[in-house]
Amino acid sequence: MEDFEHYYQEKLNNENIEQLPEPPVRNESLGRRKERGPLDWPALALILLLLVIGVVMVLSASFVRSYYEESNAMYVFRRQIIFALLGIAVLLVISHIPVSVFRRWSLVLMAASIALLALVLALGMVGFGSRRWISLGFTTFQPSELTKLALILGFSTMICKYGNRRMKTFRYGVIPFVLVLGLIVILLALEPHFSAAMIIMALGVVMMFAGGTRLRWFVLAAALAAGLLLIAYRAFPYVQERITAFLHPEADPTDSGLQIIQSILAIGSGGLTGLGLGQSRQKFMYLPEEHNDYIFAIVCEELGFIGAVLILILFALLICRCFWIALHAKTKYGALVVIGITGHLAIQVFLNVAVVTHLIPATGISLPFFSYGGTALLLTMVEMGIVLAVSREVPLPKETEAEP
Amino acid sequence: MRNDNGRKRSRPRERRDKWFNSRTLILMAACGIVAFGILVARLYYLQIVRHEDYQRQAASQQSSVETEVAQRGSILDRNGNSLAVSSSAYNVFVSPYECRENKEDAAAVSAALAEILGMEYEEIYARFDKKDSWYEMLKKQVDEETAEKVRELIRNGDEPSLTSVHLEDSSIRSYPYDRLACHVIGFVGSENRGLEGTEAMYDRYLTGSVGKTVTLVNGWGGQMMSTAFEDYSIGRNGDNVKLTIDVTVQSIVEEYLQQAIEINDVLNGAACIAMDPHTGEVLAMASYGNYDPNDYLTLSEPVQETVDAIEDEEQRNRATTEALYRQWRNKALSDTYEPGSVFKTVTLAMALEEGLVTEEDTFYCGGSVTVRGREEPILCWLHSGHGTQTLAQATQNSCNCAFVDIGARVGAEKFYEYVDSFGLFDETNIDLAGEGDSIWWSTDVFTDESNKSQLAAASFGQTFTVTPIQMITAISACCNGGYLMQPYVVSSVEDGEGNTVLLNEPVVRRQVISNETSATVNRILESVVTYGGGSNAYVAGYHIAGKTGTSEKVTENLTADYREYVVSFCGYAPAEDPQVVVLLLLDTPSHRTGRYISGANMAAPVVGKILSRVLDYMGYEPDYSEQDLAVADVPVPNLSGWGQNDAVSALTYEKLDYEFVGSGSSVTAQCPEPWTVIAAGSKVILYLGEEPEAEEVVVPNISGLSYPEAVRRLGSSGLYARKASGVSGAGAVVGTQYTEAGAKVPFGSVVEVALIEASGQGEY
Repeated sequence: MEDFEHYYQEKLNNENIEQLPEPPVRNESLGRRKERGPLDWPALALILLLLVIGVVMVLSASFVRSYYEESNAMYVFRRQIIFALLGIAVLLVISHIPVSVFRRWSLVLMAASIALLALVLALGMVGFGSRRWISLGFTTFQPSELTKLALILGFSTMICKYGNRRMKTFRYGVIPFVLVLGLIVILLALEPHFSAAMIIMALGVVMMFAGGTRLRWFVLAAALAAGLLLIAYRAFPYVQERITAFLHPEADPTDSGLQIIQSILAIGSGGLTGLGLGQSRQKFMYLPEEHNDYIFAIVCEELGFIGAVLILILFALLICRCFWIALHAKTKYGALVVIGITGHLAIQVFLNVAVVTHLIPATGISLPFFSYGGTALLLTMVEMGIVLAVSREVPLPKETEAEP
Repeated sequence: MRNDNGRKRSRPRERRDKWFNSRTLILMAACGIVAFGILVARLYYLQIVRHEDYQRQAASQQSSVETEVAQRGSILDRNGNSLAVSSSAYNVFVSPYECRENKEDAAAVSAALAEILGMEYEEIYARFDKKDSWYEMLKKQVDEETAEKVRELIRNGDEPSLTSVHLEDSSIRSYPYDRLACHVIGFVGSENRGLEGTEAMYDRYLTGSVGKTVTLVNGWGGQMMSTAFEDYSIGRNGDNVKLTIDVTVQSIVEEYLQQAIEINDVLNGAACIAMDPHTGEVLAMASYGNYDPNDYLTLSEPVQETVDAIEDEEQRNRATTEALYRQWRNKALSDTYEPGSVFKTVTLAMALEEGLVTEEDTFYCGGSVTVRGREEPILCWLHSGHGTQTLAQATQNSCNCAFVDIGARVGAEKFYEYVDSFGLFDETNIDLAGEGDSIWWSTDVFTDESNKSQLAAASFGQTFTVTPIQMITAISACCNGGYLMQPYVVSSVEDGEGNTVLLNEPVVRRQVISNETSATVNRILESVVTYGGGSNAYVAGYHIAGKTGTSEKVTENLTADYREYVVSFCGYAPAEDPQVVVLLLLDTPSHRTGRYISGANMAAPVVGKILSRVLDYMGYEPDYSEQDLAVADVPVPNLSGWGQNDAVSALTYEKLDYEFVGSGSSVTAQCPEPWTVIAAGSKVILYLGEEPEAEEVVVPNISGLSYPEAVRRLGSSGLYARKASGVSGAGAVVGTQYTEAGAKVPFGSVVEVALIEASGQGEY
């Protein structure tokens, strides 16, 4: 926390801040109501399409286990569809919030999420050998999920405040970001929650890259990350097990190698055209987590190579469209936020599918729009809502063309 | 205006550099294109390149194949007696996984199973340690009775039934006649597959087809929800195979073959085939050593002892394997031997067919004959020579010199053609696996004009080898009118409803000699048994024809006192129209018994006995000559209730002596029993009111005695003699007594003897 105060002190001396109009927010928000454009329809269509396909696939993947374990084939599906509908509402609401509101609250949110990460270490629920969840009574909540969004918003604010020139320096372009990232990663490592730490670091890299940090520091960061990975590998037997299970899944096909072997069998047996929607056999208690982290394996089995690639193309289109929004965003802040969120989406999709297809060791990373889980889905929808909020401030195409 | 406003606001205070857009584009390319390119490539590899592999693996875990065991067909003899039958059996296995899941008491279950299955408690209990296993086989092929006890255990009284113990269907193959005809029948391995004999050769008929139901199962082992089955096929029980083998004939053959092996201390196995010469149907086929197909992995005791004596474990295992293969080997089919003088029949047949010899021709034997291309003259087995002989006499004497002459008349090329025609170069195509290949000189060597020694030796059956089945098939062609038949052991295959699936009928491969030549051969070979070197095979009334054979084996250590021989005899009867032909060979009789090693001495009596027994069984009425009747054994009349005088006159008529015991007026009991056939001149004991004493007597040694002496010697011990084979002429002595000297038998028992020519010891 001291760090932040230090940087606020710095900011007082910053000429950029002096140039900022003092009372911008309220006035702008009133004025913008008129000038805001429509939602970005292509992005919205892609989001809804992925959401619908995702929910259908949750139904297909989950009904067997729901039937066996809950005696109700619709158990998982019903919960997921409620969250999906809730998600759409959240998406629409968020998309109407002016971007400046996010910016105003961003640093507070980042500080709060870091505080929550500390809190979860003290009060969190223990599960699967780590302490990651805070109970809210009706549901559980992972502060690490919130941290990702807070980081995107916060880093965007910091980048904007430092300005292009200072971002090129080590003092502004590296130190503050690395300190924040370091603090978060240490807290996550204590839970421990490596997949979240990895994503947070990757997000940090994306933000700093977009924000203008000099490339040479990334080379240094890569070396640092390699060192950290080595330390993690040495220090945590849990990481070693994961790596061993990745390299030799066949050594323990009924336990540590089970998931990946069954996942590969599901994907491979799908072939070109798949077994047909709902026809998966691997979901009959062969593949664990089939409606969760491994839902994409069921997608591959049922819809085949063609279906799986089409879904990946939808993701790719959405990601490209979001970058398009970023490129055309009215403010640099909005652009950075969209880049961060899109990077987050891309990282989640890539890591999830890479795990499921046995490209990288298993980590608990869910597939956005597809994996079962209320908070994750809601957060994805919140993020998409922010993207759409930014898209509303994109000037109309004519004007864009008219720009030099 | 809004647009103006927007444009104005789109000029940011926070400036975006050129690099901002380019870095964004780089991120877009990395996140939106490169990352997905990698994933698509990976999916292509998994789903397209490796698809079949993974699909197979997935299918194998997702489906369970339930099989319905097909009952293996039976093997029957020609009269429908079962030689091999399958019956239902069960395999018992436990599921440690279910035991743990359902919290069943592994110790109690183990104890109960140990008692039912007769296994060790610890052994069963240890199997429950494999906690994740669903299938731990405890015992295979338990019978219905045991299975019922296991079912009772599973039912578990009033408690919930056990889930950790299971039964699965299986079947068990049994051979009611044990060792009988084992090489023809063969045996079945653990996977219900025929491994030897008919079981192997007709496996595809016998197995039937297994019924299969392929069910989709979930990861917990239960059925997937809706799909009851994916695929299924109906099973069919195996067909029944009917052999040409006759259990009775086979028993007779094996009984006497085994006796011959024991009496002559045969070291290297023996074989005997009985065949219908007109059809090629094999009535009996026996090889020694043999085995019990019920227990085909067990060695016979003496062999097992020899193997156990080997110290080194590796060598012992190898010896065990070799011994197993040896006992499974069908010598009658797989091994070749030098037929020796038996082959003279073939030489005779070809010479007669070609008209190169007639029954009136005479041959001179001076004890040796010189052959072009050979420095040493070929010696006749009788070094002093046989003098001048007719064709029949030369055959009776088994004169080598005469047959060298006959072979020379045929000529090497013609001879070679006939050998081919008699099927001695090729397999006989019998429907059993493992036929051996004969070994002959190449055509060039055999027909070499400058060296006639190959032809000369072949003329009397040496310097080549054939299998017993080839030899008996050739002899059949000589005696059946000239037709070379294809031998076979399976007459038909029928399905469960009695429909014929396969019918094997006699196959004539070719006619080799004319009917007339065949008749002449039969006439001459009958004279061989009646008057010549084969007389030890003579059994009065059966018109046995045949030829002896003795051949020295080529071994590495040829020392004078350790020569190895194969002795054989091929005979058939009745000579005018042969019904059965029997070939018997004994491989390497040992010198230890002191018996003279020759086919005439060792093989001929056995074949004579076998032929007479088989013909009796087949309903053949003996046809005695006057000479036969003069020396024939006689049946004891039933004298019960007869007066003394009447009894005496009846016995005198049958040329039997008598003795009265007791003082009654009529016969109340007699010894031996009525209709027992015994030697003429034997003393019958008639009881007049007294009870015969049931005492045991020791059989004396009568070997080497003349028949009348033997009758007296046995009589003095309270025993009777009966002739099994041979001619009871002046020179005949007891060659074999079928009840061993020193054995204890009831008073009044009959000892069968084989008579042999005392003077006629030669390499017939």
